Amino acid sequence: MVRGKDSSSAEVHFIGQIVSGSGFSDSQLFCRWSIQTGGAWHHVEGLKEGQTHADCPQLGQAAIWCHPVDVHYTIKGITGWPKLVVQVYSLDGFGRFDICGYGFCNLPSSPGAHSIDCVIWRPTGSLRDEFRQQFVGGGPQLRDPQLVYTSLDRYRIQTTAMGTVHVQISVILRNFARYGIEY
Amino acid sequence: MAAAAAAAGGVPSQQCFLLSVTGQVESARLAGADQLYCRYQLHGGPDWDIVTGLEEGISQVSRPSQDARQLLVWNLPVEVSYKATNPYGWPQLIVSCYGPDLFGNDVIRGLPLFVPESTSQLQKLVSWFTGRRPELADASSLATGDGRDVMRVRSQGYVTCSFQVVTKDLQRLGYDNGRRAPAGAAGGDLQPAGGGDGRPG
Repeated sequence: MVRGKDSSSAEVHFIGQIVSGSGFSDSQLFCRWSIQTGGAWHHVEGLKEGQTHADCPQLGQAAIWCHPVDVHYTIKGITGWPKLVVQVYSLDGFGRFDICGYGFCNLPSSPGAHSIDCVIWRPTGSLRDEFRQQFVGGGPQLRDPQLVYTSLDRYRIQTTAMGTVHVQISVILRNFARYGIEY
Repeated sequence: MAAAAAAAGGVPSQQCFLLSVTGQVESARLAGADQLYCRYQLHGGPDWDIVTGLEEGISQVSRPSQDARQLLVWNLPVEVSYKATNPYGWPQLIVSCYGPDLFGNDVIRGLPLFVPESTSQLQKLVSWFTGRRPELADASSLATGDGRDVMRVRSQGYVTCSFQVVTKDLQRLGYDNGRRAPAGAAGGDLQPAGGGDGRPG
């Protein structure tokens, strides 16, 4: 049913999909994603976090998710523009899952269709930890996942690069000109 | 006029925008495919209504080409118009591929890029013999993104779709999607905004 909408506030729509993850050495991968915003953003409708299915690619090396993202916000200020935070996990034959990497990317601030590549990294431990992870699994994980997308001190951790998560997002803005927001 | 329409329970047309999609499900490249037909479904949110066109369609059965491409061509037209008040719930295209197995039953071979896989080995064996593979009970549940975390799938290939999208009154309602309507349209002809905005399968 089509409903009328109040048209006075500045609104933003992010519509797109988390397409795939490539460049990972493990095969069964899934991705946990969430959208983090500042205080001036009010979430109206749509899921702002989720988890994709686990994919085992047959053709090529990319894990294909095609997970839909459709979120609607109203905003009272321009600070805290949303970030997409992803965590990639791998699934083994016994049904256990292990963190494959973390990453974040900023959602675009200009209207239209965009293709974003989100780089993924994994924290590494000592040489002994790396050996153990090769044979038994279960490497180091971040105690506070907020470190991925905030400016908390990172200088203590060591990381190594993993693959890339590909995202396609279209942005629709509403009433930005009325409030004097330039982009 | 607007007040009368509102009193009658309908939404005044000044608050709606229109979206017209013209395109096709072109072709597919799937691992191990022989004869396949595809079905498309368009799934829009609660604020979207179809004006013209069909939400679902089924193609002909196609065989892969004999050359190195091994391409399955359907060339299935998709033509739909929507009326909406909210970009939330923008329509999504779900393409499912079906083909006969050894016993001639039609079983699902692919959904948008992936085949749902059972999570236990025993079920896989049973499904091969009885000709029933695990199938999503409702393919439109893929459109919401909810509940996908319990699925394990095997991606088998690609479906290529191409679309052209034309919108009307989106900017008049205050929305900016990065496209500009042609200026000074007194008597001029509208140019269709090219490029695919649908999700390529």
